[in-house]
Amino acid sequence: MPISDHVTAYLIVSALLFTIGAMGVLVRRNPLVMFMSIELMLNAVNLSFMAFAHFLNSVDGWMFVFLVLTVAAAEVVVGLAIIVSIFRSRHEIDVD
Amino acid sequence: MVAGDIAFLVLATVAVASAFGVVTFRNPIYSMLSLILNLLSLAFFFLTLESIFVATIQVLIYAGAVMVLFLFVVTMLTPKGGGISGPDRLRWQWTAGIGLAIILAGGLIISLLNGSIADGAKVAGMNGLSAAVARYGNAQAFGEALFHGFSFPFEVTGVLLVIAVLGAVVLSRRFAHE
Repeated sequence: MPISDHVTAYLIVSALLFTIGAMGVLVRRNPLVMFMSIELMLNAVNLSFMAFAHFLNSVDGWMFVFLVLTVAAAEVVVGLAIIVSIFRSRHEIDVD
Repeated sequence: MVAGDIAFLVLATVAVASAFGVVTFRNPIYSMLSLILNLLSLAFFFLTLESIFVATIQVLIYAGAVMVLFLFVVTMLTPKGGGISGPDRLRWQWTAGIGLAIILAGGLIISLLNGSIADGAKVAGMNGLSAAVARYGNAQAFGEALFHGFSFPFEVTGVLLVIAVLGAVVLSRRFAHE
């Protein structure tokens, strides 16, 4: 049985991407890169939702991915506005 | 090895490598481009999982619109010279972060390999996704589920977007006394 027929393979890729995103939030100082790492984590979870939707033959996973996508877009808009207004008053944005 | 396996391994390699790129590139613009590559590889993952519609909105909305906004802000806030800031005052942070990341990844993978998810995930026909896709097609099955079973979350999403737009306007407004 090929490995791409197991849901566990997709979940392991998703776990690796999530871990890399969590590591990025921990180690980087630039808030923009920390933001990108949060996007990485959201997308890792999206991948596992899509894998479950496919293997459980259920449409719920697609709906969750759609909602996560919308929330991520809203989060990017508000977060970037906050970062831009911090930059305006401080002229450097490193978090440490 | 069948074609599906080769596609899976190539996509997994690209996804993980570009995710590492996001974290390790010192210039935030390179991190950004690496993140776009990661999102595109995830869109191809969605294609291999037989969901053309979600792969399309991943490319159009996420890798397209959201990332263009992101790239715009990154280029605006990154000073000349790539935004590489001074010496790292917290060198132990990398060691601690990588150590914690290895622990997290190990724990997740061990629990995935030992759990009973793989057996449970073959219960077919719960909501009949493949039947709906075969009957209406991909986007129609998505819309049917969105506007029938998930109409309340859909409305809440609309409210959330309005709040986000208002928040962005309030945060980026210049006040008269500035």
